Amino acid sequence: MSKTEATTIDVSITDQPIDIASVRAGASSDCGAVAEFSGVVRDNNDGQRVQGLHYQCYREMAEAEARRVAREVMDEFGVRGVCIVHRVGDLDVGDLAMYVAVTAGHRREAFAAIQALVDRVKDRVPIWKKERYADGERRWL
Amino acid sequence: MTVEVLLFASLREAIGESSVRLEVPEGATVSEVAGALLREREITHMADLPVRYAVDETFVPDGHILRDGDRVAIIPPVSGG
Repeated sequence: MSKTEATTIDVSITDQPIDIASVRAGASSDCGAVAEFSGVVRDNNDGQRVQGLHYQCYREMAEAEARRVAREVMDEFGVRGVCIVHRVGDLDVGDLAMYVAVTAGHRREAFAAIQALVDRVKDRVPIWKKERYADGERRWL
Repeated sequence: MTVEVLLFASLREAIGESSVRLEVPEGATVSEVAGALLREREITHMADLPVRYAVDETFVPDGHILRDGDRVAIIPPVSGG
């Protein structure tokens, strides 16, 4: 990567609704591809009716680990911008739980990077969900 | 020596605290300390889960040796996203 290519990492863990318009994966005039992924609260899991979720995080580490994931993906896939936003607290069905995006020169590296980014966030960033079911029961996953 | 153990998710709920301070022997590893805590508190639901550990907000191997004053987090399988 030449010194003239700026890179951007934007990571946040928030208890406020995610406003996609306010987060961008470092748009740049020489980048032609932006890939995004939104994780949304689903109304079912393992055959049970889900009413909502509570997300708990280890905040200091979640942001640090998300930054490490972002840096890795940037280096491995040659993307120029990475954005990771995850919401915590109480969410209802349909709410946006996670938004991630990458900016790259071309679509091929953008698609590969966004998949790796989502997988690594879900595997490593210390955030846990507790599901709230229609019958009133709640369970940590 | 004394270490602080941070607890999350189902483990925090089972123990009823977000962290505990423990006296542990010199040279104790993260998995030894966690194992002792779970036995002492009779926590059995995590026995088959792939638990990880973090010190200074960074994942460490199970055999990582703790130092006095360390803060170790027991990280149950994460489920964000």
